[in-house]
Formats: sequence, C-alpha cells, structure tokens
Amino acid sequence: MKSRRLGCLTATGLLAVALTLLLVLGVFVLRGGRMWSPGPLHAQASGVELGGVLSHAETGGDCAACHTAPWNVTTMAERCLDCHIAVADDLADPATLHGALQSEGADMDCRQCHSEHRGAAANLTSADMDSFPHDRVGYSLAGHSLRADGSPFTCSDCHTESLARFAVVTCEDCHRTLDAAYMQAHVADFGTACLDCHDGIDSYSQANFDHSQVFPLTGRHLETTCAGCHANARTSADLQATPTNCVACHVEDDAHDGQFGQDCAACHNTDDWQDATFDHSQTAFPLTGRHEGVDCVKCHVDRVFQGTPTDCVACHVEDDAHDGQFGQDCAACHNTDDWQDATFDHSQTAFPLTGRHEGVDCVECHVDRVFQGTPTDCVACHVEPAFHLAAFGATACSDCHTTSAWQPARFDWPHTFPLDHGESGVVTCQICHPTQVQDYTCYGCHEHQPNEIAEKHLDEGISDFQDCVSCHPTGLEDEAEGRGGNDE
Amino acid sequence: MKPNARELWWALAAIVVITVIYLLAARQLQGVPAASGLFGHGIGVLGFVLMLATETLYSLRKRSRLARWGRPASWLRFHIFTGLVGPYMVLLHSSWKFNGLAGLVMLITVVVVISGFIGRYIYTAVPRNADGLMLEAADVQVEIAAAEADLRQALAGQPAAVQALAAQLAAPSPATAGPAMLVLGRPLLRWRQRQQWRSALRQLDPTARARARQMEALVARRQALQRQAASLASARRLLGVWHSVHIPLGMALFTAAFIHIIAAIYFATLLH
Repeated sequence: MKSRRLGCLTATGLLAVALTLLLVLGVFVLRGGRMWSPGPLHAQASGVELGGVLSHAETGGDCAACHTAPWNVTTMAERCLDCHIAVADDLADPATLHGALQSEGADMDCRQCHSEHRGAAANLTSADMDSFPHDRVGYSLAGHSLRADGSPFTCSDCHTESLARFAVVTCEDCHRTLDAAYMQAHVADFGTACLDCHDGIDSYSQANFDHSQVFPLTGRHLETTCAGCHANARTSADLQATPTNCVACHVEDDAHDGQFGQDCAACHNTDDWQDATFDHSQTAFPLTGRHEGVDCVKCHVDRVFQGTPTDCVACHVEDDAHDGQFGQDCAACHNTDDWQDATFDHSQTAFPLTGRHEGVDCVECHVDRVFQGTPTDCVACHVEPAFHLAAFGATACSDCHTTSAWQPARFDWPHTFPLDHGESGVVTCQICHPTQVQDYTCYGCHEHQPNEIAEKHLDEGISDFQDCVSCHPTGLEDEAEGRGGNDE
Repeated sequence: MKPNARELWWALAAIVVITVIYLLAARQLQGVPAASGLFGHGIGVLGFVLMLATETLYSLRKRSRLARWGRPASWLRFHIFTGLVGPYMVLLHSSWKFNGLAGLVMLITVVVVISGFIGRYIYTAVPRNADGLMLEAADVQVEIAAAEADLRQALAGQPAAVQALAAQLAAPSPATAGPAMLVLGRPLLRWRQRQQWRSALRQLDPTARARARQMEALVARRQALQRQAASLASARRLLGVWHSVHIPLGMALFTAAFIHIIAAIYFATLLH
C-alpha cells in the first residue's frame, strides 16, 4: 500500500480543520461568547436590578460584561463592583464582612469566594476552606481542618443557616464528641460563648493553645482545672489578665505568713510544697558543715524565719563545754564541721604556747576544763625538782630554763666558784653538782681522785680537806698556801 | 490474554488507577474536581498530551525514514493505549459538563475513540507479518499452500470419511458471504464454520470422529487463511475508507481542542 508521507495532513484532514474553524467562527458570530462558557450563569433573580439585569444569566453571551481584556486597566473585580455598589461601600467599612476581608490587604478579589458558570441554580458563594482568610473575620480556621470524626471540615458545619451566620452550638456539639467530660466542665466553668475567648489561633484548647508561652504548666499545675486559676473568666481578656504570681492563687497556702515575700518560686517548685530548695547562702547566715543537714525548724522554731539570731549560743548554749568561759563567740575557735575540730589561738592569750608546751593536751594545764584563771607561773604545773633543793628561792624557772627543754639551762647569776676555772669552758651543773645544787664535788673532773687527794693532803698534814673550796675558793691549788696543815 | 489485545488490558488497568485517583481527589475536594482547578487542569493537560502523542508518534514512526526506533506493531499498541487513556483523562477533566466548545471537543473525542475501535477491528482483518506489515495476496496464498500441505500430511492414512470432511470444510463461498461480511462478520463466519464442523463430526463413527478432532486446528487454520485471502481486498478497501473518515475526525478534534485551550488560557488566565 502506498504510504501517505504527509500522514494526517491529508486533503480531507485539512478540510476537516477548515470546517471546524468555520463552525467555531459561525457559532461565535451567531451566539456570541456562549460557546466559550464553561457552564450556565446563575439565573436566580434577586429581585433587585443591578447593572440593568436581575441575574447574571441575563447578561447572555456578553462576556465583556464581567470579563475584561488583558490590555484593559479595569479588573474583573472592578466590573463586579460597578454593579454591586453596596458591596463597594462595604469594602470601605472594616465592620462589614467584605470590609473585614479586605482590611489586612487588598489581595482578595471577588472570584475567590464567588464563582460563576456553575449552573443556573448553583450557589454563587463557595469559599475554599484552605484559601479563605477566615482569620480576617475574627476566627482562624488553622485549628479546624478536621471534624471530630476525622473528616474534612466544611463551611456548613459551622454556618448551618448561611455563610454570614455562625451557629455557636456547633462548637459545643463537636467538642462534646471529642471529650464529653472536658466540655461538661469547660462549659460549666466558662459558659458557651466560645468566640469570646477562642479565635481559632489563640485557642485555649489543648490541641492548639501553648500554655507554656504564657505560663508553663508543670508539676501539680498540670492536674489543676482551668477554672482553678481562671475562675469566673468569661472573655479572652479575662483569661489573659490572670495574674501569674504565685500568691495570686496560693496566698492561703503560704506557711510562712508572708515572711518570705510573694516569690514562692524562689524556693518552691510546682511538684511539691515540701520539696523546697531555699538558698541559705544568700542570707546573712550561709549554712556550712553540719549546719547543712539540720532541719529548718531546729533553728527556725515554730517556722519563724525572720529575726532568727545568728550568734552561736542562741542554739548551742547547751552545747558549750566551757560553761561560757570563752564568751559567746564559739566560731573564734570552733567550725561547723565538728566541735572537736577547734583551733584555739593560744598566742593571743597571756600565755603563748611555745616549745614543748605546744604539744601538751589542754587539760594538762586546764584541769577539769577550767580555762579561766589558769596560773601562768611554771611551778603551778612544774614541781621544783629535788636537785634544786629550794636553792633558787623565788627565782622563776624561765630565768634559767626554756620551754624547749629543761636542759640545758642557763645560769646568769654570780657563781662563787669560777665556772671556767680550769679553762675548760662552761660545764653543766651536774659536773660539779651531781646530786643537788647545794652539794658539790671536785672529783668529777681533773685528775682529782679521792685517794690521791687524801694522800696528798695528809702528807701536808692537812686532815680537814673535805671542803675543797674553803681552801681553794677559785679552784687554784696554790691559793691554799699557808692554810692549815701540820707544818704551820 | 491474547497477545494482540495486551494494550487493551494495559489501558484498562491505567483507567482503573486513574479512576481511583480521581475518586480520592473528589473526596478530598468534597465534590467533582472542577475543570479549572489544579487537579482538573492537570488531568486535562496530561490527557491532551497523551492524545497528541496518539495522533503523532505512531504516524511519525510509520512514515519517517529517520525515526526507526521500535517496531510499528509496538507503536500501534502504544497508539491504542494512549488513544484510550488520554481521552478518558480528558473526560474526567470535563467535570461532567459538556457546554459550548468544550462539550463539542468532548463529543468529537468520543467519536474518534469509537472510530478507533472500528479501525482496529478492520485492521485485524488484514493479514500481517510479525512486524505488523500487511501481507500481499501472494503472501497469503503461500501461507495457504503451506497450511494445506500440513493438512495433507496429517490426513495421510486417515479414514476416507475424515478426508472427505476436510475437503468439505474449505473456504466459504462468495455466495454465502459477501466481501463486507467477510471483513465485518468474521465472528459470525467463524461461528458458522465451527457449527458446520461439529455437525459433520456427529455424522462420523466414533473412531473417525476422534481422528477428525485431531485435524481440527489444521482445518481451522486453513479456513482462517482462506477467509483472509477472500477478504483481503475488501479489508484493505474498508481500511482505506476508515482512514479517510478517522483522519478528518482527528484533525477536527485537535483543531477544536486547540481553540478550547486558547480560549481557556484567554478567559481563565489572561483576563483579570
């Protein structure tokens, strides 16, 4: 078979194109714009003649009655208002429906709500739920996309009679389906004038209202009812005027009788009154050591918090082991960790502890823990040794001894016998006074031996030679010449 | 499923899927999707693109010396698929309103689709090779000769009654079926020949009948080829007539559709 290279561009095909064009042109000439119409115009007469017609259908095929050409500065909406003069007046008044819709911008035109060519008896007003700026008429549909049963919301759900009238009972009916008990209580608390408080966005329902933005509900506040805080509120303004300070609701719960002011949250949280966390460090009496674990009422008797004394004895008078001997400033020696961990500064007293006194237990000197009137003279604690044999009388121990050790002791007084007579330097007392200071012996050093001394003196005819210094007052051998002996 | 009807089943499946999507959209929009809405416009534009593909691609493949991709038979299947699915989407786009020019476009669309079904029926009456190219009369005669040779081989050694039966059931005589009947009345002819075969079988004894049944497929093949040979000229003539009607209808449809599109753009988009 011969192939048609032009395909559908056959003579009959081209003829069909021409006939179709002629047909369209002919109908257009004979019937005007009707052939372009996607559907019949609204034909129900309103009884009022506007623009010379009683209904849109009466405009016939005159498309230009409503439609304006692309090059025409007049818009289609302006064509509407040319006839609908009352609506044009409404647009200037925000109190009217049309005025409210245009109040926040002129981005709407008539066609968004009023569509034509949908049939002679079709409703001219059919707003799209998604695009209609319902918030401009005082109620946003942001939270109302679905019915209680999950199906999409429609205009007639709330506007049962006409789009211009709102059936408030719709709110209650639908929300009772969602939560009957809640609605029962809510209506009892706040009444049925839903729109007085709810505007769709600023809804106080659990689904949409974010209470945390104005007053976060935590702890036991979550358990309370709305009316618990918003008692007698009847308008959105009433709800918003609800005070947020604690005492507004809890003044009767204040166990402190206002002693701590009105900022309960400074110490308490919403979980439990008892779970308070008072920051005592911010007071004049920070809690440290064992004070941290003490129950409040131990110091704040009868829960009186103001005027609580801060001096130690106010609480610890019975704990004073010193019977007041050290006054009332316990903290001068003690800390809050432990009574026993005291740090008394003895250097500030008339008897600074030095040497071996530093390691002595307090009660060694302060017998029976008597701290006042403790004598400071040495003999009060240190009995004079027999070695002294009261040879030093009223001389103070410290004149010879230090607190570091009894020995060596110094001797700064005239000694009847030269201490360095043998040029051997200062020797200890015990060299010459081995038993007591009243006695002496010369045999502790030198070459003096009793037998040799006795023989030597007896050879000289000296029999009384026991008291060496009586003949040798400075220890020199020659100074006894001429004293005693048989040859004299 | 017959291999040559695969595109019909694919089209049916696509139509079912599109219908489900349409119903979901209608549920979401709480009503019939408007032709001017996003969904309505979308389905209309897509349907028209498919119709445009129907009109152009198969025709281009058949005639172009450059575009040689794919077998013509496959493109014909695509042509039939888009020729059914595209108009269906345009039908949904109409939102079931058939006013003015849009209604006229829809009406011509329905006519073109029906015409397409008729064309396909005539098309299947013309014998073709595996690539879908039409066979000439000589080619058909060669196939008939081959079929008869196969039949003769199978009849060798068969009872005389069976051989007589095979000879009896040859091509229908022009006296019993005119040329148009041979093309348009194929199912009726097939039914009549099947009845004749069964009637003849009943006159045979059981042994001969059993053997004759083994010959049934070969006899039927020869009969079909004989029918095609007898109707070849008529089928081609009818196909030509159909083309001369179908193509102008298609051209009228696309002319009206383009005017509708221009008008829709003008009135719905450009006007303000």
